[in-house]
Amino acid sequence: MKYLRTSLILIVTLLAGCAGKPEPGLYEEIGGSETLSKVFGLSINRIYNDPVLGPHFEGVPKSHLRKMLTEQTCALIGGPCEYTGKGMRESHQERNVTEAEFYRLVEHVQQAMRLIGLSFEQENRILAALAPLKEDIIYQAR
Amino acid sequence: MIKKLFFCLSLTSLSPLALATGSSLVATGGITSFEGTAGGGITPWAMIAGYGSKEEIHGTGALQQLDLGEYQLRTVGAAIGFYDRVELSVQRQNLKVESGIVSNVFNLLTDGAVNTAPGTDIEQDIIGLKVKVFGDAVFDQNSPWPQVSVGAQYKKNRDFDTSLPLSDGSVPLPDTGVPQLLGATEDAGTDFYVSASKLWLGGAWGNNVLANVTARMTKANTFGLLGFESAADDGYELEWEGSVALLPSPSTAVGIEWRTQTNRLGGLAEEKTVTDLFIAYFPNKHWSLTAAYVDLGNLPFDQKASGLYLSATVNL
Repeated sequence: MKYLRTSLILIVTLLAGCAGKPEPGLYEEIGGSETLSKVFGLSINRIYNDPVLGPHFEGVPKSHLRKMLTEQTCALIGGPCEYTGKGMRESHQERNVTEAEFYRLVEHVQQAMRLIGLSFEQENRILAALAPLKEDIIYQAR
Repeated sequence: MIKKLFFCLSLTSLSPLALATGSSLVATGGITSFEGTAGGGITPWAMIAGYGSKEEIHGTGALQQLDLGEYQLRTVGAAIGFYDRVELSVQRQNLKVESGIVSNVFNLLTDGAVNTAPGTDIEQDIIGLKVKVFGDAVFDQNSPWPQVSVGAQYKKNRDFDTSLPLSDGSVPLPDTGVPQLLGATEDAGTDFYVSASKLWLGGAWGNNVLANVTARMTKANTFGLLGFESAADDGYELEWEGSVALLPSPSTAVGIEWRTQTNRLGGLAEEKTVTDLFIAYFPNKHWSLTAAYVDLGNLPFDQKASGLYLSATVNL
């Protein structure tokens, strides 16, 4: 048991170094907000046409969502943007988003990144910045 | 028209959305280990079997084969993941032992009086239970904590007292199977383990990296295929297992694994640390295929027990 605890502490310490750092140069490398806007334009079209996800976004103008997602992602990957939208908890309070729906949305964004031509390496680094939002998106309704 | 059809087809093949498997992301469930538990090839991971999300129940079916020359291990089983929280699995293992090995055993036991005997099979059933305790291996990217699960594997060796016949059909040692001949004293045992798994998205030059560590309390000899416990040692021992994998594309994982063993029986049945080098292919969320080179270290009369391991998992 003592060994187990020591190893767990060791592993956690090792891992702590890798966690959640903004990626230097990623924003410029992918072509900045122009590319992000293309990615989210395509993602949003796919999401709004998705029979499961579409109804969640009724009444949300596509252009507004696209602008917010672009801004937020730009800020999260170390770009020169300030996110001016609502916090994730606040913006997902109206209706419970399930984990299955969240994964579905992530897959649309992944597909859009691939179709726009981002490399797998760039896709992974962007997802790493977005992934922690999950806990503030799913099951937020009170 | 054809162009449009092709476009739609290529979209369908890109998009996992059309599939009937669970919702979570491709490759995140790992494969199925030879003990039936979701994980790597030779060790459990903290992930729950299948691609089910918190709201879903999904399952897997899997086949594995390890070809070691005079030994061949064939395994088959199924697992169900409930709400990405609980995993139940059943597995049948069949270790085929060629005539040459059994002949060597008799040769040794009879001081050379008997030197040929037919081959035999050692079968084992495993029922597994795994419960996720905390963490999200894939999405907790801003936290150093892994996903942690605890599990148990109840193993029952079906050939503990299956006696070995000689070529003429006579049975010199009735009700004594291979595990007993080698010194095991029990035909069943339960392993308990804790697994910690974590994926770093973009962790190595943009490629995803997965690491897993498992600590296991066990009384098994060579995974239970050679029985449980011995006259000298009937207690639990702590063993360590690990996997490190790199995912250089959305559909590929390459990695290494290791697993320590107790070596309770010693002698012919000496156990060494098991290692493997694997490549797994996940073309979509329906199925995956894994090839590995596994080095078991030692099996009775095979001091270089290593060979090709193939594993296929189907997701339902």
